Amino acid sequence: MSLSDLLILLPQAFLLVWASLLLLVDLFISKERKVITAILGAAGLAITLGLTSGQWGSRATGFNQMVVVDNFSVFLSGLFTLAGLVAIVIAYDNMRRTGIHKTEFYSLLLFSVAGMMLMSAAADLIIVFLALELLSIPLYILAGLAVPRAGSAEGAIKYFLLGAFASGFVLYGTALIFGATQGTSLAGIMASIQSGTAELPLLVIGAALLLVGFSFKVAAVPFHMWTPDVYQGAPSPVTGFMSIGAKAAGFAALIRVFSLAFPSLAGQFAPIFAVLAGLTMVVGNVAAVSQVSIKRMLAYSSIAHAGYILMALVPLADPSVAANSTASALTYLVVYGITTLGAWAVISAVENADGGDTSVRDLSGLARQHPWLAAAMTFFMLSFTGIPPLAGFWGKFYLFRTAIEGGYTTLAIIGLLSSLVSAWYYLRVIVMMYFRESEAGASRAPSIQIAAILLALAVLVLGLFPSGLFQLALQALANGVS
Amino acid sequence: MILDQVIFLITAVVVLTAAILVVSVPKMIHAALWLILALAGIAVLFVLLQAPFFAVVQVIVYIGAIAVLVIFAVMLTRKAMQDDGPQLNRYSVLAAAVSLMLFAVLTGMLLSWDGANNLPVNPAVNPDTIVNLGESLTNPQGFLLPFEVASILLLAALVGAIYIGREHRAGKEEE
Repeated sequence: MSLSDLLILLPQAFLLVWASLLLLVDLFISKERKVITAILGAAGLAITLGLTSGQWGSRATGFNQMVVVDNFSVFLSGLFTLAGLVAIVIAYDNMRRTGIHKTEFYSLLLFSVAGMMLMSAAADLIIVFLALELLSIPLYILAGLAVPRAGSAEGAIKYFLLGAFASGFVLYGTALIFGATQGTSLAGIMASIQSGTAELPLLVIGAALLLVGFSFKVAAVPFHMWTPDVYQGAPSPVTGFMSIGAKAAGFAALIRVFSLAFPSLAGQFAPIFAVLAGLTMVVGNVAAVSQVSIKRMLAYSSIAHAGYILMALVPLADPSVAANSTASALTYLVVYGITTLGAWAVISAVENADGGDTSVRDLSGLARQHPWLAAAMTFFMLSFTGIPPLAGFWGKFYLFRTAIEGGYTTLAIIGLLSSLVSAWYYLRVIVMMYFRESEAGASRAPSIQIAAILLALAVLVLGLFPSGLFQLALQALANGVS
Repeated sequence: MILDQVIFLITAVVVLTAAILVVSVPKMIHAALWLILALAGIAVLFVLLQAPFFAVVQVIVYIGAIAVLVIFAVMLTRKAMQDDGPQLNRYSVLAAAVSLMLFAVLTGMLLSWDGANNLPVNPAVNPDTIVNLGESLTNPQGFLLPFEVASILLLAALVGAIYIGREHRAGKEEE
């Protein structure tokens, strides 16, 4: 047992140990002081963030090439830990207000973040599968956190059943790829393809099954059916975390597997990715228009955003565009993550104390009572639409640009038109908040307000200085993927 | 060889019949019992493949633990002992067509693979298989990491199962 193996996975291992200890420590914290559990959970994530960012710039493989730590994994791990931190901040107040403050939330959230981090560092299909389960199982339970409530139970069971189904696809795909290449490590699979010893038909079927499994996780059409029910039923802070965490982890796996292990299959998969991306953008945006519940609306919007990101995976076969397009996917993940966490923070604040569904109408008149929340929500909605100079505009700009450079102008036009459609439902939220009379109630907890305002500022700053993030994403790819 | 094939065919018929009955009998407890028969048939298949260790694991883990768990779960959820509705819904024909198509494609693909037609005649049985298996599960250069991740995964699932299974009083903060 070499120590270096363990050092490579130090952030993940630390987080898992911390989460397990948190389960025990929580028993000794009295009912009135459960805020300590929340603080401890956040502290664990903050230390993990420090540990993982210390690995920036290095590249190392461990455990017989089962995991690889490079800038790509550090970049995404940073995103996951930050998303977890924001989720804890907005969850504490929301869970207390809606009467579901369960301290298992913090341990399960930490387990899930550790699974996502492991996914970004996976260099072996066995680890990909286990990381997928480690991040998903806590999410199934978190979706059912409010469980005597029917919506939450419905969401959890749907998420669990379809998620288990998707895992089955991933496992079957892994088995077929193992049969085709006699190995599960991504490097080994690539070597086997290059030397021509791989059984191509089996390999292609296996890769296609993997794609189906991951598409469930990122909620791409036609594998998106669970999304609205789960997003609507789960407690809002959980949905906020899920909307970026599960999606980014799914994309981490897609990018890692399809650009590292199967670069030579990229040509064959480009049309499949193109159809997936086009369908996902159109269906997501069109279905969102008619939603009454804001939680369902954002669920369809998250489907549409997955479509935009999928567009970046289309031109992987062209080596001159591949790096730029993957970097634009990473940039968009960060931009989308900040925006969606912010939007769900505002919804967590507005959500009724009975934890029932929140409709777009529930936001009406928010600007009068809670000007800061309304202003922040305006930023998020404009960023989702892609209005300059906010971050969302630049995220889409990079994605559309690489799609055009890769020769997929039609796809970029579909994306552009569908995001025009999206302006309709995003702007409706702003109109509701500013031009409708009503007494929208919302939590006045400073933690949620501060989180929402900071995220809105981040959207603005990233929008004013977009190149820094894109350069960082390019660096994230410099010593690993592709 | 002929005897092997006869045993295989009988086992295959039993496994398939039992598997179909698992999803088609209306009584949950009967489905669980048919599941045990199907799993036992799989154990026989492992013996035929000269994998005695997997046969034993199949019996101990699947029949001994999982099937018994299923029966317990069926007995504990008394409300859902019997499914009175029709066993097929209106999509059944479509679902069958899609499944058959997938089966045909996969079988076709597998048959086009060389390994499907030239099996190794008599795979050498290594007496150290189980030792190797145990060592590779505890070796950092082997499968130690997946083994440990799986343990953590089970811990998370356990916490979740207890959380979901616990009695909940609506609208009241329990902790």
